[in-house]
Amino acid sequence: MTELLTLAAIGLGTYAMRAAFLVTAQRQPPAAVARLLPYVGPAVLAAIAAPAFVAPHGTIAVADTAPALVAATVAWLAWRRLRRNLPIALFGGLAAWWVASWAVTAVQATS
Amino acid sequence: MTTNRDAPTRVVGAAVRDATPVVFAYTPFGLALGATLAATHLSPLVAWSSSPLLFGGAAQLLAVQLLDAGASAVLVVLGALVVNARMLLYSAALAPHTAAWPARWRWLGAYLLADPVYALAITRFTGPDEDGPRERLRYYFTVGLVMWPAWMALTGAGVLLGGALPASLRLDLAAPLTFLLLLLPMLTSRPAYAAAATGGALAVVTSGLPWGLGLLAGAAAGIAVGGYLGGRHD
Repeated sequence: MTELLTLAAIGLGTYAMRAAFLVTAQRQPPAAVARLLPYVGPAVLAAIAAPAFVAPHGTIAVADTAPALVAATVAWLAWRRLRRNLPIALFGGLAAWWVASWAVTAVQATS
Repeated sequence: MTTNRDAPTRVVGAAVRDATPVVFAYTPFGLALGATLAATHLSPLVAWSSSPLLFGGAAQLLAVQLLDAGASAVLVVLGALVVNARMLLYSAALAPHTAAWPARWRWLGAYLLADPVYALAITRFTGPDEDGPRERLRYYFTVGLVMWPAWMALTGAGVLLGGALPASLRLDLAAPLTFLLLLLPMLTSRPAYAAAATGGALAVVTSGLPWGLGLLAGAAAGIAVGGYLGGRHD
């Protein structure tokens, strides 16, 4: 029960943040704020994704980091080359990650 | 363009076309999250209820893992709200495009404002289509009504399949790859690239901070750098 209430409290707080500006809508935000808004998406999404590629388990380790960066690069290239096809880019990135992880493990096992 | 008669159908069609591949892209993340939810000591239904209550994978993952680890309710709420603080930014960025909607639609739309919905909507609203308020409303809610049931079903399937997913099928990189692919269409200018590079780099450097504060630090720095460079380009 406590757990459900905790999740409900997070849900309420999250809803309040989502609604904060939408429901108090002013047609034009202040100029200083408006100048920053286009960079919200790029900055936030990069801040979520980058640590997961560079330090997948909290620390930078070649065995984890290299395959993850290979996956990110493959997904990026696939997205650019293949007409921005999202599923192909995603599964291409995942496949590259599996292959690269396997290769790194194989190399480490022989050295 | 926005006044011709078949515009509503066209906008709805465009929204379905844009949202469907994102659902596919979210499939591994949704299944993996569901399996993680099922692996905690929480009852499966309570764990899954985070999907309708929170509608956002990153905070769901954090909240349920902290609850499973026995963290206090206050700590769990604080941590998850810090991770979700980006919703404030999304809300602010989207508000100028939704200001002309009737209030009830804005109250309802706020519930659907998750990462992929934001990413698709803002890419469309700032793109070349020049939709009017009604078309924007149709686009936004169509995307939301594709993403929402899909997320409920995917995380639900993950909970039910749980242990049936082979352990060798590693999906943990699916989430960051999905976020990367939502980010790419937003990189339309040098300041946008700089914002992403700064945000990503600082988030890596500060990733040791508790409660996802590194995410906030990176986001704040990236937005500031983007705004500064964007101002200089004007």
